[in-house]
Amino acid sequence: MRHFANWGILGLTLIFLIGPFVIIILAGASAGPNLAFPPEGLSLKWYAKVFTIESFRASFVLSMALAVFGTITALVLGIPAAYALNRYDLPGAETIRTIVAAPIIVPGIIVGLALLRYVVVPMNVTVTVALFMAHTALVLPYAVRVVSSSMHNLRADMEEAAVLLGCSRMQAFTKVVLPNIRGGVLAAFILGFVTSFNQVPVSLFLSGPGVRTLPIDMLAYMEITFDPSIAALSALLAFMSLAIVFVAERLLGFSRYV
Amino acid sequence: MFRNRREGLALALPAAIFSTLLFLVPVAILLSEAFRSDTGFSLQGYVDFFASPLNRSVFLRTLKLGVLVAGSAAIIGYAAAFCIVNLPGKARGTVFGMVVLPLMISPVARTYAWIVILGRTGIVNDAIVGLGLSASPIRLLFTETAVFLGLLQLFLPLMIISLVSAMENIPRDVIPAARVLGASWLNVFFKVILPLTKEGLVIGGTLVFTGALTAYITPAILGGSKVLMLETLLYQKVNVSNDFVSASVIAMILIAMSFAANLVLKRIATARS
Repeated sequence: MRHFANWGILGLTLIFLIGPFVIIILAGASAGPNLAFPPEGLSLKWYAKVFTIESFRASFVLSMALAVFGTITALVLGIPAAYALNRYDLPGAETIRTIVAAPIIVPGIIVGLALLRYVVVPMNVTVTVALFMAHTALVLPYAVRVVSSSMHNLRADMEEAAVLLGCSRMQAFTKVVLPNIRGGVLAAFILGFVTSFNQVPVSLFLSGPGVRTLPIDMLAYMEITFDPSIAALSALLAFMSLAIVFVAERLLGFSRYV
Repeated sequence: MFRNRREGLALALPAAIFSTLLFLVPVAILLSEAFRSDTGFSLQGYVDFFASPLNRSVFLRTLKLGVLVAGSAAIIGYAAAFCIVNLPGKARGTVFGMVVLPLMISPVARTYAWIVILGRTGIVNDAIVGLGLSASPIRLLFTETAVFLGLLQLFLPLMIISLVSAMENIPRDVIPAARVLGASWLNVFFKVILPLTKEGLVIGGTLVFTGALTAYITPAILGGSKVLMLETLLYQKVNVSNDFVSASVIAMILIAMSFAANLVLKRIATARS
């Protein structure tokens, strides 16, 4: 009886959390012209149509580029910071930690608006560069936190031993530290990539004419068109995220780091 | 530990400077805007903002939806987390994974599903018309209910994750012991489970409440201009009416509400023990 009640509660919760994806996958596979569930016959034409829409192709490329390069930049800034916060007795370490973590606490829409008004407009930064800066700032806290937690488990004396045995400090870092935190760095990259790719509020004000990230392009498209293509695209994006998470979990036990 | 502080600072400062210049300084200027006037310090922006009945109702609706979503997430979250913790090892990992997965998927995709469910030709309306409960489809989209459901679906996983990790720390035999000694399930919950998981509740509650306050996509898609929340109102103030003072006021309110939620939840948690 207890088991039955347990599974009942879990079943309902999972239906509420996962059910909408099943519906959206099927709604995108409709043969009819309108968004409906159950779909009016099955076909893959809307899944195919998504790839022919020019603006989606452009915004997908932009979102990919922002997610990849923004996250790499955040890691380039974040790994040394995480290293320093773990290995040195820094004056003001708490302050640095707070400053770097701050972009998580403030709502994205405010970050985007503030960047637009006081950095982008006064300094005449182009839309693409503005988006790149915003996405990097957004991912930086995750990069520092995840890398920090994997660095935390690595004993400092391994590095000291490497230096005693003749490595330079840089060699000790690349030969001893980096291989040991590789999993954490990859996990930070994946978390950063997914966060950046899916993110809307920060880029809302920063997107300009013709330069939009994919989620914002989707929001604009669904305001004027009511066909199943957004459902198909949403399903494709869901599959992409699932594939990334699945591969990451298989390769390195992603969930240990998050 | 390495001693050379200058070296350490040289490694940590680029990230800190990047964050300060591109985040801290612009946001600080934006927030200060609502306190400034031609004559110096002023609260006129706040007075004007709350003088408008529309702004007041949006503020109250945001607060209400935030509390409702966080409260419902806590109730469902406790039930689900309790069941997950009691599962055998392997099933537990799978179910937990299924709870976490939606977090990795684009919120636009997650929210759009509700259009398919609640729209004029959606499942719910098909059922209503099919069962003869109403002659024509009723409006379910662009209602507070739609926004509520969307937000709950979006943020429930955060509550479940927080509560599961809190419950894992409850010693195994505490609950059976309380039962053996004659406590009812209600008593077990309020006197054993709740006090032992309050930190998880504070974390989960803050995440869900703050998430609901600052979500943009869900109220934009499911609420539209009929059911404005503070985030969508902020967007309108900037893009439609160019009213940057109001935008700054809303920004300050959102940040203040997030901090207040955390403080209130912490206070409740310490008062209980």
